[in-house]
Amino acid sequence: MAERARYLYAITRNVDPSPLGSTPALSGGRLDVVEHRGLTAVVSDVDLREFGQEGLRENLERLEWLEKVARGHDTVVQAVASLGPTAPLRLATICLDDEGVRRRLDEWHDALHVVLDRVEGRMEWSVKAFADPVQAGVDTSGVPEPAQGGGAAYLQRKKSEQTAREHREADAARVAGEIHDALAASSSASRRLPAQDPQLTGHTGTMTLNGAYLVDLDEVAEFEATFHRLQKEHPDAALALQGPWPPYSFAVLEQ
Amino acid sequence: MTEPSSSPPTSRPYSAPVGQSSRPQPANLADILERVLDKGIIIAGDIRVNLLDIELLTIKIRLLIVSVDKAQEMGIDWWRNDPMLTTSEQGLADENRKLRERVEELESGPRGKSRG
Repeated sequence: MAERARYLYAITRNVDPSPLGSTPALSGGRLDVVEHRGLTAVVSDVDLREFGQEGLRENLERLEWLEKVARGHDTVVQAVASLGPTAPLRLATICLDDEGVRRRLDEWHDALHVVLDRVEGRMEWSVKAFADPVQAGVDTSGVPEPAQGGGAAYLQRKKSEQTAREHREADAARVAGEIHDALAASSSASRRLPAQDPQLTGHTGTMTLNGAYLVDLDEVAEFEATFHRLQKEHPDAALALQGPWPPYSFAVLEQ
Repeated sequence: MTEPSSSPPTSRPYSAPVGQSSRPQPANLADILERVLDKGIIIAGDIRVNLLDIELLTIKIRLLIVSVDKAQEMGIDWWRNDPMLTTSEQGLADENRKLRERVEELESGPRGKSRG
């Protein structure tokens, strides 16, 4: 018989967990809840051969496995977030049994309630901005092409190309900062995440803004209006809005 | 990536069911990994695993070496319309062809020349 452990997806409180019955758990099992001192941990059984220390070390190196588990984890977190305030746990948080889960709820009781207070009635939106790859390209129109491409002329052209590019990059960065500030003013909390690599996401151009915004559900319309206004004001920034997502970027424990 | 102007409203009631179909857009893998690996509540469980070893950089490298079929299956096909890549591949192919011709020419000597 395989050794089992408890995989933790998210912490919530004051919810009726019965709708979770239709959400698939990792490893094809069913979701359970562990309740302790006003906190509810959403968990499921996993096989220690797959999720034990050794198994994890190997499996995390396999992209297909990582993707499957990441999407499965996210699906459960989304389902929990549709029920009540949700603090998602980081991928692969595993306790040996329910007693271990309760010990964590006990140990982190106050901090978890603070996090749930912060995200209650709020969800996360993502706004990304991209510098147009065509704009970011080399513009030499302002520099006359010499009839004979002498070395000095070549260097001069290169230099002015570089200056023009630096100006465009500085402009794009400034615009991204303005966009972020405006969105931050329309949200409860905000964070700028590192730009994602185009090779990972497939986007073209430079990601000048990767913003996360915690938005009060009563103020979603206002936030979206701000987004659409910014989109009109900055057509070159190629703004993209995604959400609502569970408040991953704002469910962090104060250290 | 840009939001189409006719997109459905992105808000929905807090209590609405969250299913695959009701998600505004499926989050891409980068967005999901960024959040489930980097964000959220970090509490040490009983199983210790160092997620810091699984940096997005590592994942990126893995994406790059993942087989083309697998990558396309996952919807990753950025190289198809990446002008830099396609031109550099084209450039390499051209250079290869020229080099091959040159080698043939040198190896075959005058005999090859008369034949070609």
